[in-house]
Amino acid sequence: MSVKSPSQSLLESLTLISQGAEAKVYKGRLEANDGPVLLKYRFKKHYRHAALDTSLTKSRVAGEARALLKCLRSGVNVPGVRMVDASEGLLGIEWIDGKSVKSLLPSGAVEEYDEDQELPDDVDDEGEHPLSRFEISSDTLMDLIGVEIAKMHLADVIHGDLTTSNMMLRYPVANAPTELVLIDFGLSYHSTLIEDKAVDLYVLERAFASTHPDSEPMFASVLSAYAAQLGKDWPALRRRLDDVRLRGRKRSMVG
Amino acid sequence: MAVSEDMVVLHNVRHLNLDSRSQESSSSAPTMLKHHPYSHYTMEIFDFPHLKTKAYLMLFSKVTNAAALKSRIVAASTAEGEVGEQEREAVNFAFIDARLITSKLHLETAIYQAILAECQDGLRTRTVHSEILYYLNPTHNITEAIRRYGVSGENNDIFVVRVGSLELAPTVESKMKAVVTGTIVPEAELQHITDWPSIKKYHKLNGEIAIKEAGQDSQKEHAIVDKIVISSVAMKSVVQ
Repeated sequence: MSVKSPSQSLLESLTLISQGAEAKVYKGRLEANDGPVLLKYRFKKHYRHAALDTSLTKSRVAGEARALLKCLRSGVNVPGVRMVDASEGLLGIEWIDGKSVKSLLPSGAVEEYDEDQELPDDVDDEGEHPLSRFEISSDTLMDLIGVEIAKMHLADVIHGDLTTSNMMLRYPVANAPTELVLIDFGLSYHSTLIEDKAVDLYVLERAFASTHPDSEPMFASVLSAYAAQLGKDWPALRRRLDDVRLRGRKRSMVG
Repeated sequence: MAVSEDMVVLHNVRHLNLDSRSQESSSSAPTMLKHHPYSHYTMEIFDFPHLKTKAYLMLFSKVTNAAALKSRIVAASTAEGEVGEQEREAVNFAFIDARLITSKLHLETAIYQAILAECQDGLRTRTVHSEILYYLNPTHNITEAIRRYGVSGENNDIFVVRVGSLELAPTVESKMKAVVTGTIVPEAELQHITDWPSIKKYHKLNGEIAIKEAGQDSQKEHAIVDKIVISSVAMKSVVQ
């Protein structure tokens, strides 16, 4: 194409926020006077055959958008979809004004050189407790996480990459409770299997343990809120989670 | 546009000042204002810099010529010769039933995706304007989209949209007014127009958990419905 496509010209106007192996994340505007949107651009992967790359990119953009809509319809807090250009690999979603949960919980690492972050964790310069702006306690935050994941699993959506950096707390707005928002559905898929839900939780447990020191009690309260929201399926899921803990994320292929 | 509107207002003021010298005209001025409570509202312009185009938008309320308008659009699509061209230009707008629009962003999203489709030679309907109706409708049925979201004899509140360049700006408002008989109201009036039960029905939202969770809180429910329909419109191109 000799003429630049609209999405290409849009990309050039954007501010890069973060880059991963699969996609770049930008902040930008679709309409000149509107508020910002977040744009996730799945750039071309030259190590793949061009035709395969196009179809993979297309189906992943579509898959992510569908997972978001499924979550929205099921009452899970996720960002709304704003634009889709699957052939260009571009997905526009609602801009969430808030902070990643990862940045709000105590971490053992030095803040400045955090490599694996999805969204910028601006360091609090005031030195106050990071959660104070959200008007909730750490316990409430864990409850919100458990409830949101349970709602997602009840809708048979598996996130695929549950970490504290893939969750955000929205800054509280007038007379609305603080919201926990699940983000990055790039690895999500649909499944009714207890195994998949248990592995999803296990991945989060590992993420808590590796990013936040002494987080066992925190994760325990995530699980108890999850259990309460999930209801009758919880006993079976708890047993499966114990199995997964023993063997790890991958199922043994021996025998 | 803002400039020319100011000029109209200024013109009226000067008019009033002159008239105040004669008793009879000064008493007629307030009555005139009463007849057109929103006469100072002009159209909205969406500016999509990357699509290299704009969209002009006006909301008409108390429309009285919807049925005639529909017949005119139908006739224009098949009219031949120069008359046909003129007629097609006269009705070269998207006429959208405002009852099925939840918010400005809802309509804006449909317009964005329709223009994007046009830029990529991916229109599924004949024009970018009918494409907006197609994007608003949750199914892939074009006839249904036009029947539900377009004009019919029953419309009283209609969004008129024109996609086009900046050169249209000076003339588009009068062209809209020429074709629709109704009162121009600000877009904020939409909150009294939106027909939430129909929207929930068309988008099959009544059984959804998100809606049930809202319970009796209609404000919360409307916010959820708005978010869902905006997302549905935005991702329509990837819905199987």
